[in-house]
Amino acid sequence: MLGCAMSSVRDNLATTALTSLTVGFSLAILAQFFFVFINLDAAVSTWGDRTHIVVYIKDASQRAPGAIERFKGASLAVPGVRAVEYISKDSAFSELKREMKGHEGLLAGVDAAALPASLEIKLNSEFMDGTKAAGVVEQLKRMDWTDDVQYSQEWVEKFAAFLRFFEITALGAGLFLVGVTVFIVSNAIRLAVYERRDEIEIMSLVGATDAYIKLPFFIEGMLQGLLGGFLSVIIIYAGRWLLISQMPSYLQFVVKIPLSWTTVAASVFVFGIALGVCGSILSTSRFLKSC
Amino acid sequence: MIQLFHVYKTFEGAGTALHDVTLKVAKGEFVFITGPSGAGKSTLLNIMFGSEAPTGGQLIIDGRNYVKIPRQEVPSLRRRIGFVFQDFKLLPDKTVFDNVALALRVMGVETVDIKRRVSKALSYVRLQHRANFKVETLSGGEQQRVAIARAVVKEPAIILADEPTGNLDPHLSLETIELFKEVNNKGTTVVVATHDQSLIDRFAKRAIILEQGRVVSG
Repeated sequence: MLGCAMSSVRDNLATTALTSLTVGFSLAILAQFFFVFINLDAAVSTWGDRTHIVVYIKDASQRAPGAIERFKGASLAVPGVRAVEYISKDSAFSELKREMKGHEGLLAGVDAAALPASLEIKLNSEFMDGTKAAGVVEQLKRMDWTDDVQYSQEWVEKFAAFLRFFEITALGAGLFLVGVTVFIVSNAIRLAVYERRDEIEIMSLVGATDAYIKLPFFIEGMLQGLLGGFLSVIIIYAGRWLLISQMPSYLQFVVKIPLSWTTVAASVFVFGIALGVCGSILSTSRFLKSC
Repeated sequence: MIQLFHVYKTFEGAGTALHDVTLKVAKGEFVFITGPSGAGKSTLLNIMFGSEAPTGGQLIIDGRNYVKIPRQEVPSLRRRIGFVFQDFKLLPDKTVFDNVALALRVMGVETVDIKRRVSKALSYVRLQHRANFKVETLSGGEQQRVAIARAVVKEPAIILADEPTGNLDPHLSLETIELFKEVNNKGTTVVVATHDQSLIDRFAKRAIILEQGRVVSG
């Protein structure tokens, strides 16, 4: 049966090549979209990490032994808090000096002890919302060791809105692209099968079972998917190499391939084979129904 | 061998193609089905072949009722029947050998047996010398003989032929019917649909006459 399928591939070389090319380009475009999405999502998450609440600690409270660990523990126990980092008076002063680089004279005579120690609180992504973040701030303010709490409500709200927009847009575009890929590939396969409808009809008329007729198309679909997947991997890596040389360095992260090449190849091959096999079987079944 | 009881066939929007057809074809018999165009000859043959389901009535082949035959049983019916189509239904870009061999390959016959049986069938239709030619390079008469070879190669119990001489000149038409007669002489039941009255007169076999979907004689 494999020999039969191979001879059929040989007889329909142009159609097989065109179908494989269609599968290859479609999968490459889809994969590139997901890479861009993953890269942008990672970048957006980094911005999210910069959104934090600063809790200034009362000087008197932190003198007790183990006080800082206790404050950190109490903060982590507040629902919505993902991470807590202690910034000592010295660290705060060093950070200030770094930020004022070139204007160090302004800090002459300023004592490090003048700055308050603080806790930098990072929130879970689902708490990046004005109301929920305000709830966390309220709980932190109620701690007896809290001197003051600072956070930018406007920034949090804008970031939350952007995050929602980004997720919805990416989901919509991703679904649309998956739909377009399935549509293009299934039509290419359907046309390839349609070209051989006489063969399918004649095989059925001389007494071939449906399974006998479908098997060569199944194997061909698999080969087309495999070949398309192989082409797709080449297109993805060659495309990235071409794009990266044309892009400014600060944008190059967008076309970075965030997965190992083995994962990329395996995913593309599996998706390609699944598309090839399903497309062939569905198209063949359609013609068989009328025989 | 073939029995039809009160068979009806209606096509949506096209009216009734067969109306209360009851007939019997005995084992080893040679029968013509005749009538004007649109009388229902092709529909009757398609029902016998399992490619059309009757709207009503019963179809019994070899003692088995084939009405509403499940799809998975259609191949076994078709393997027992050789069908010769008016438009031949050959694969033009394949060789004569491959076209005839296809009927055996789908049945899972061994390659050695396929070679022997195809060779025998081609010599029977006098086309052995054309075995490696592509079908598209053959004349209409030769293509018809390939179609007959494909029908007989599986040694079926029944051969159905739908207007097998429709595209042939009178001389080739006679040759074709002679081939069917030879097959019939070996015990195969043969049913030939034709509107060519001269052939029916010449071969003096039973003729079932259809008119507007009804059996009017035979």
